[in-house]
Amino acid sequence: MARALWSGSISFGLVNVPVALFSAVRDQDVHFRQLHRKDGAPLEVRRFCSEEDKEIPWEAVGHGFETDGGEVVVLTDAELEAIAPRRTRTIEVSSFADAADIDPILYDHPYVVLPTGESEGPLRAYRLLVDVMAATDRVALGRVVMRTKEHLAAIRVRDGVLNLTTMRFHDEVRPTTGIGSGGKKPKKQELDHAVKLIEALAEDWDPSQYSDEHRKRMLEVVKEKEKKGKVTQPEEAEVPKASDDLLEALRASMEQLKVK
Amino acid sequence: MAAAKKPRSIWNGTLTFAAVAIPVKLHTATESKTVSFREVHLDDGAPVEHRRFCSKEDKEVPKDEVVKGYETANGKFVVVEKEELDAAAGSSAHHLEVEHFVEAADIDPVFFAKTYYLGAGDGGEDAYRLLREALEKTGRAAIGRFTFHNREYLAAIRPYEDALAVHTLRFADEIVDPAKDLDVPKAGKKPDAREVKMAGQLVETLHDDFDPGDYEDEHRQVVLDAVKRKAKGEDVEAPDDAGGEDGGGDLLAALEASLTGAKG
Repeated sequence: MARALWSGSISFGLVNVPVALFSAVRDQDVHFRQLHRKDGAPLEVRRFCSEEDKEIPWEAVGHGFETDGGEVVVLTDAELEAIAPRRTRTIEVSSFADAADIDPILYDHPYVVLPTGESEGPLRAYRLLVDVMAATDRVALGRVVMRTKEHLAAIRVRDGVLNLTTMRFHDEVRPTTGIGSGGKKPKKQELDHAVKLIEALAEDWDPSQYSDEHRKRMLEVVKEKEKKGKVTQPEEAEVPKASDDLLEALRASMEQLKVK
Repeated sequence: MAAAKKPRSIWNGTLTFAAVAIPVKLHTATESKTVSFREVHLDDGAPVEHRRFCSKEDKEVPKDEVVKGYETANGKFVVVEKEELDAAAGSSAHHLEVEHFVEAADIDPVFFAKTYYLGAGDGGEDAYRLLREALEKTGRAAIGRFTFHNREYLAAIRPYEDALAVHTLRFADEIVDPAKDLDVPKAGKKPDAREVKMAGQLVETLHDDFDPGDYEDEHRQVVLDAVKRKAKGEDVEAPDDAGGEDGGGDLLAALEASLTGAKG
């Protein structure tokens, strides 16, 4: 069973729900280690002082901040710890927002929030929070301190349990200035065609129909290398040329998909 | 606001669906503003270098002698060259191939990994705008795949402000299923009607329109202030602490007290 990454409580008003946080996602990537080609031995990373060309122990490493003037200010672990956010064990809900008002671009890392303990009171308080938030489609906002960082967090209901997602601060999302094109407003006919095409290619969202082809290919490469000692190079795909005539491309697509 | 620089693109390619092909550019959409430090030697402030050593020979290994190994059994590795992995990693053809369109609102945000912006490539401005408006009109997101930095991604493309956002997507088996993967305690007893009503009232009382601009990263400034103090030779100490508190045990009483507090 997965280990809790954080434990504490969620409080809203004077109601306190003891909870634990678990990551809502797991890493399924194919990982490689760095080896020495000559003898196949794994590599170790060692820290060296670049000035003295001398290996240094972990305790001798500090945190350098380069100022605009190019000066490096050094802080110790102890100093960083001293200014770390108060390690509060409470996620205080400051407000409830409409789920639809929070753009997912703000969402960072998702966690599953489960009640801790067996006693009836906290379990009922957890359930009350789930029921009420699910019924109103509201998201609870608060702050959570994990390790040395304080995050803004959104708590919502997913599949009957609470999920907490850490959020980016507003100034961590770049403006879209200059990114949306200065293209012409589409003609009605073009827009109608495009909408029909989209509907012709419409499907229900079903995450289980997508598999990680990248992961598969990495594992195939490893298998092939292990068996045959070499890897067959895949053929290079061609990139389609940009459509010159948009309306023509739309018509061709509709024909291809038999859309009227 | 200062005049915006023309944002630099990190990937140029072609988005296709059916017989339509649109030149597009990928841009960074998010950036961490957490104050970051680099490792330095405490004695002299010099930058710390990470050097690779062979664990068998106890000797530094130059970069060109490093290979990647996949561990098949404990301590047993299959060696693969970087070129072999890169070639298999996905097509280097810069192609974002849209497979179909789904209801944007149906994608649970738990699937969203990283976000980028998509802009129009040269000559693709009109078609880009058409796609953006058609997505907006239909409320749909385009689902497609593309290869970026030697890795293939599944992505959802949806309108965001006057541009398009590209969310790389997690795969279903990367999402934890609490019922299967975690120890979910047995559900508590159904709260009674009065509790539900009062909790609902409390949620309403605390309801607020969401504006991301209302929330600042307060810790960022604390860290920058500490750096400033240290640069002046002052001590870096913990800011004043406030004590924690614990809530009561009676759910109904706590709800009642909260409502009184929130209204008063």
